[in-house]
Amino acid sequence: MVDLATPVTSGGADTGDWQPVARSRAGRSRAARTANRLRLVAGLATLVLLTVGAVLLPWLGGLDERLVDYGAVLRPPSPTHLFGTDEAGRDLLSRTFAGLRVSLLVAALCAVVSTALGALVGTVSGALGGWTDRLVMRCVDAVNAVPHLLLGIVIVALYRGGLLAVVASIALTHWTTVARIVRAEVLSLRQRPFIDAAISGGASRWRVVRRHLLPAIVPQAAISAVLLLPHAVWHETALSFLGLGLPPHMASIGNILGDGRGSVLAGAWWTVVLPSVLLVAATLAVSGIASTWRDRLVPRRRSELSL
Amino acid sequence: MLTGVGLVAGYERGRPVLDGVDVEVRPGEVLGLAGPSGCGKSTLARVLALLLEPWAGTVELDGRAVRRFRHAAPREQRTAIGVVFQQPRLSVDPRFTLREVVAEPLHATGRAAEAAGRVAELAEQVGLTGELLTRRAHEVSDGQLQRACLARALAPRPRYLVCDEMTAMLDPSTTAALVRVVTAHVAETGAGVLAISHDDELLAVWADRVTHLA
Amino acid sequence: MTGELLDVRGLSVRFLLGRRGRGGEVRAVTDATFSLRRGQLLALVGESGCGKSVLASALLGLLPGNAQVRGHALLSEQDGPIDVMSAPENVLAQRVRGRLVGLVPQSAATHLTPVRTARSQLLETVRVLRPDVDDPFGFAEHLAERVGLEPAFLDRYPHELSGGMAQRVAVALALVGDPPLVVADEPTTGLDRPLVRRTVDLLAGLAEEGRAVLMITHDLAAARPVATDLAVMYASRLVELGPAARVFAEPLHPYTAGLLAALPGGGFTPIPGEPPELTALPAGCAFAPRCPLGPDAGCSGDPELIRWDDRMVACRRPC
Ligand SMILES: Nc1ncnc2c1ncn2[C@@H]1O[C@H](COP(=O)(O)OP(=O)(O)OP(=O)(O)O)[C@@H](O)[C@H]1O
Ligand code: SF4
Ligand SMILES: [Mg+2]
Repeated sequence: MVDLATPVTSGGADTGDWQPVARSRAGRSRAARTANRLRLVAGLATLVLLTVGAVLLPWLGGLDERLVDYGAVLRPPSPTHLFGTDEAGRDLLSRTFAGLRVSLLVAALCAVVSTALGALVGTVSGALGGWTDRLVMRCVDAVNAVPHLLLGIVIVALYRGGLLAVVASIALTHWTTVARIVRAEVLSLRQRPFIDAAISGGASRWRVVRRHLLPAIVPQAAISAVLLLPHAVWHETALSFLGLGLPPHMASIGNILGDGRGSVLAGAWWTVVLPSVLLVAATLAVSGIASTWRDRLVPRRRSELSL
Repeated sequence: MLTGVGLVAGYERGRPVLDGVDVEVRPGEVLGLAGPSGCGKSTLARVLALLLEPWAGTVELDGRAVRRFRHAAPREQRTAIGVVFQQPRLSVDPRFTLREVVAEPLHATGRAAEAAGRVAELAEQVGLTGELLTRRAHEVSDGQLQRACLARALAPRPRYLVCDEMTAMLDPSTTAALVRVVTAHVAETGAGVLAISHDDELLAVWADRVTHLA
Repeated sequence: MTGELLDVRGLSVRFLLGRRGRGGEVRAVTDATFSLRRGQLLALVGESGCGKSVLASALLGLLPGNAQVRGHALLSEQDGPIDVMSAPENVLAQRVRGRLVGLVPQSAATHLTPVRTARSQLLETVRVLRPDVDDPFGFAEHLAERVGLEPAFLDRYPHELSGGMAQRVAVALALVGDPPLVVADEPTTGLDRPLVRRTVDLLAGLAEEGRAVLMITHDLAAARPVATDLAVMYASRLVELGPAARVFAEPLHPYTAGLLAALPGGGFTPIPGEPPELTALPAGCAFAPRCPLGPDAGCSGDPELIRWDDRMVACRRPC
């Protein structure tokens, strides 16, 4: 009656322009996001710096880390030897970078092996359930009940040092964490109706694992692997420091620190302090990046656009 | 005929959800199943779809007793009974495109060769148009996703179809459209349907016969 | 207070996809215009994905960060109206959510914290929203009784509550701050008919005691007995709005007519075709491809909401 045929909406004429929703939502404050970003940037910057250093060092008149010079034993840091020299007169800067490379490679190998092992055990255990699951989880508990380093030492001692023994000692003690995480994820996935739908569609047990369960745990497993990396570095360092780790010719940071042990008592602090600083920086950078990644993955799922 | 006789089933020891239930889904007929929340309708649906092993009682599929459930049931028996659940979002793997969702039973049963043609046919049947098939679950609406779930259930040409509150999340138009698809499937293939719903009005127009679960 | 409690004018919401919107945009709500008085129960119906829930989130200031808004949603209050669209977060948190607008969420059972009893969740909300209440314990029991929940059930954990009881707890939680406007997002999904009935009766009771209720649902049959007003949404737009009885009896928009004809009691005929994507809304009437009148009506241009008696409709045909 009134206003017949008069549009009540105005096509946006007096409604103004698009405005962003000015508020940050769901508890993640600006400060937390900034901190997160800083952590990521700092981590990436450190890693890039270390990588560039490791690659460029030999080119920039870097010294051969194996070059023994008994005329320059235990020199403090100086322009020629930025990190000083060790008890055999070897340049510590070059040794540390070479050691870092060895440490990270060994740790990466360990992380990959233990994640693969853990993911497999966790998936199978979660997917089969029943007594298989109970048995596997008992084993996990048993492994966890023993201190990791202790168990690692036993394994290394049984196999008499060497790269394989170190990898085995770390992988065999660290798969349990991944297995637990993956099993929990698989158990919750298994309850979803889409698994029921797959079974009803004729899928075999193995097909359900391969098509639905394994792909779903890949992100979790990848994050665990990267988070394991710094941990494995420290583990390898500890073993090597104790002289149970890598053979002396594979100069990991642990070996360098082990060698430096005696010299520190003689006042040569740089043999231990400077390589340690580099090790700490590298591992903090990796775990910083991994944590940021993990934190990002979780809210993504939460904030899926729902109309 | 898909029958359950004296079915007892549940999730916790000593607390059966179904206690001596008999049902009979006949070929070419839509059996409506109504009952209050929590009375065990979904549980019965899972037992009849061979997804939950009953504690007691027997499920018979075309005259043969089913002895094993879930993965242990012969593939031929599992695929003879299609199932559609209430919540389409939870019923598809979020990593799959709708095309993969619909084709999955064909791949799982070694009929990958006929998959492309069959998926196109099913998509047409349930009203999923072209480009939608390339999207993932989170890129389509509940209604479109449920269409894909129905197509997936029909893919192995099941002789029985269990629809557990298939339309509870859907608007009237999509509800009517999906029920028509099921009705057409029944008319064409003589399949038997168990239609579970809270909605008496819906069952009144959809089902040939309605039973109540107390 | 009389007059309009909520006045929504030209409200639009879009989501930018990808970084800085380079992935395109979703038009979730376009030019929504309606108002709500105390005592009204407005049922907002439409199919899933048409933008109903986004509209509700917008009214509570709960849109995600990639959303952009346009237009106004004025909530009247003693000190003059608050525009939810432009109010800063602290105003929304301290004066709007829970106090002016209460939300009854979709699937109440999963919304409750699983590890705490209904009572402890209710008590916490009372302490936060009603510091003036001397006896939070008694207040919580009183609220429970108001929504028809026996106080004994308050000591249960959410998984020990049936769907209907969990729904009641959710309504009680929404009522703690005594909000004049209650927004219920799909309050009946997954409930059986008797429970649906009890839930909508509960909402109708809230309207009768002088609140305004916005009930969002895809279930026309559930809304029918209690709604005083009906709004129909299609592809992000309100296409029809009016007194429920009149809209049900004589729908003006072809989409509304189609929905009614799709009900089991109305012919059970689906509307052909599918709604358009909100990422690629066609120019002009979004319903045209499915409209039984489309080809003949010669519709062109954007059909805007047009007043028609005490009703509004966005369709060229009746003009
Ligand atoms: N996975 C499970 N574990 C434990 N209990 C369960 C599980 N699934 C269902 N139940 C319980 O079994 C009972 C029956 O559940 P069911 O889902 O079969 O009911 P329903 O009739 O389908 O109800 P609705 O109409 O609400 O869907 C309920 O008490 C429920 O809580
Ligand atoms: S404007 Fe035209 S096409 Fe759109 S609903 Fe009305 S009659 Fe149909
Ligand atoms: Mg159920």
